[in-house]
Amino acid sequence: MRAVESIGKQLREGIDWAGGVSVMLGRAFAIGLRRPWGVYDIFYQIVALGVRSVPLSTLMAVFVGMALTWQFGEALMGFGAKNAVGSAASLALVRELVPALMALTVGAKIATGITAELGSMKVSEQIDAIASLGADPLKKLVWPRLIASMLTLPLLNAYGNVLALGGGAFIADLVFDVPAEYFYETYVDELYPMDYISGLVKSFTFGLLVGLIGCYQGFQTKFGTEAVGISTTNTVVATSVAIIVFDFILTTIFLPVG
Amino acid sequence: MAPIIELKNVYKRFGDNIIYEDMSFAVEAGETFTIIGGSGMGKSVCLKLMIGLLPYDKGNILYRGREVADMDREHLRELRRNVAMVFQGGALFDSMNVFDNVTYALREHTKMSDQEMLERAKECLDMVGLGYDPDILYRMPASLSGGMRKRAALARSIAIKPEVILYDEPTTGLDPANINRIGKMIMKLQKELGVTSIVVTHDMPIAKECSDRVAMLHQRRFPYIGTPDELWNHPAAEVSDFIQGRYYEDKD
Repeated sequence: MRAVESIGKQLREGIDWAGGVSVMLGRAFAIGLRRPWGVYDIFYQIVALGVRSVPLSTLMAVFVGMALTWQFGEALMGFGAKNAVGSAASLALVRELVPALMALTVGAKIATGITAELGSMKVSEQIDAIASLGADPLKKLVWPRLIASMLTLPLLNAYGNVLALGGGAFIADLVFDVPAEYFYETYVDELYPMDYISGLVKSFTFGLLVGLIGCYQGFQTKFGTEAVGISTTNTVVATSVAIIVFDFILTTIFLPVG
Repeated sequence: MAPIIELKNVYKRFGDNIIYEDMSFAVEAGETFTIIGGSGMGKSVCLKLMIGLLPYDKGNILYRGREVADMDREHLRELRRNVAMVFQGGALFDSMNVFDNVTYALREHTKMSDQEMLERAKECLDMVGLGYDPDILYRMPASLSGGMRKRAALARSIAIKPEVILYDEPTTGLDPANINRIGKMIMKLQKELGVTSIVVTHDMPIAKECSDRVAMLHQRRFPYIGTPDELWNHPAAEVSDFIQGRYYEDKD
């Protein structure tokens, strides 16, 4: 019986959480779309969240490109078809691995950074201070971070695609004697515009989730020294689960069977 | 004259924890009204209820006769323009320097030029005793002492020239010299600017010296409200024990 109660309690907490996140999204857009739009704040956040994520994005994309190309190259060698390594790697990287891994690594970093910052502000009553001075915390804090993360992840995704291609070409040439130019041509030839679009739509969605969950968890931080740590841990879990679930949903939308 | 802020039969709970039950008091314009009471009883919650930072469950909280719970976004903004709050730790914005902190409300509510805001910021910092440091405007909150942070927070609150200032434990954690300085500032703002002050404090000497009236929070309401002399000579044991710093057993 206790197990059933516990499951019920967790389900209810999950529904409450999803409801709270949805309400924050609706309110943030309702207030954010009114003038002034806070363009300076948005650009500030794009630099803080995006530009500072370039080193990690670079590392992630290059190594993912190299690792996947190695995996496919090694497998294709068994069939005597190593020259197809570019074609094989392209779909997996552009449609799936670059957007999803970018969100899981860089996106989680962005989300936990937002949670830590807003959680610290919550604990030190800075969010209350913003409201007490007549400003709207959703407008000042949530809106710029939400828009910035929605713009940043697709940009990093596009950047990551180029680097993954470069990493793959390097391994193809060095390890499998497939010329880099040939790798590039077969890589690009395999892709259709919808493949790029699906990758970007995924990144845009992941950016929304990352910014929203980061902000929500920050605002929900309780008081006390361990509260910020608990919130950031919850952010990592919630962001990862949300990205994985939405990745699956979007994959089924962009790749319908039949 | 109608009170500037009035609380009538307010009820507030957090989950199973009832903070206020049938809480009532009224604050007149221009007075310094001090709230005292034991730690953790919810004195700070009272200040947040007054400016709509927290919702209340039952009762009425009125600002100039207008119900706070019924205020829309614009009216709440107007309320918060006129009723400023100084938070316990100062709550200065870490990512902004002192100038940006002090002028935050000016940028939010006015169309003052940069030069006008600079002049106003200097004026406010002078009033709180921070004007002696020519570099203070561009220092970050982390580089300020606790006393300086509280005074900078006070400068931020007075920049917009509010009618009412709410102080949440303004002297907690300060040395005796700074406690004295804060107390004198509260009285100076009342005398020179006619500001109404509502002060939550544990500091009995400050409560006695600065207040026109004192209210003691006891068993989730304010049964004891009077002038400092009336409270300091009150016959009820719980009042005299609290003020004298003697342990008393709360039978509730």
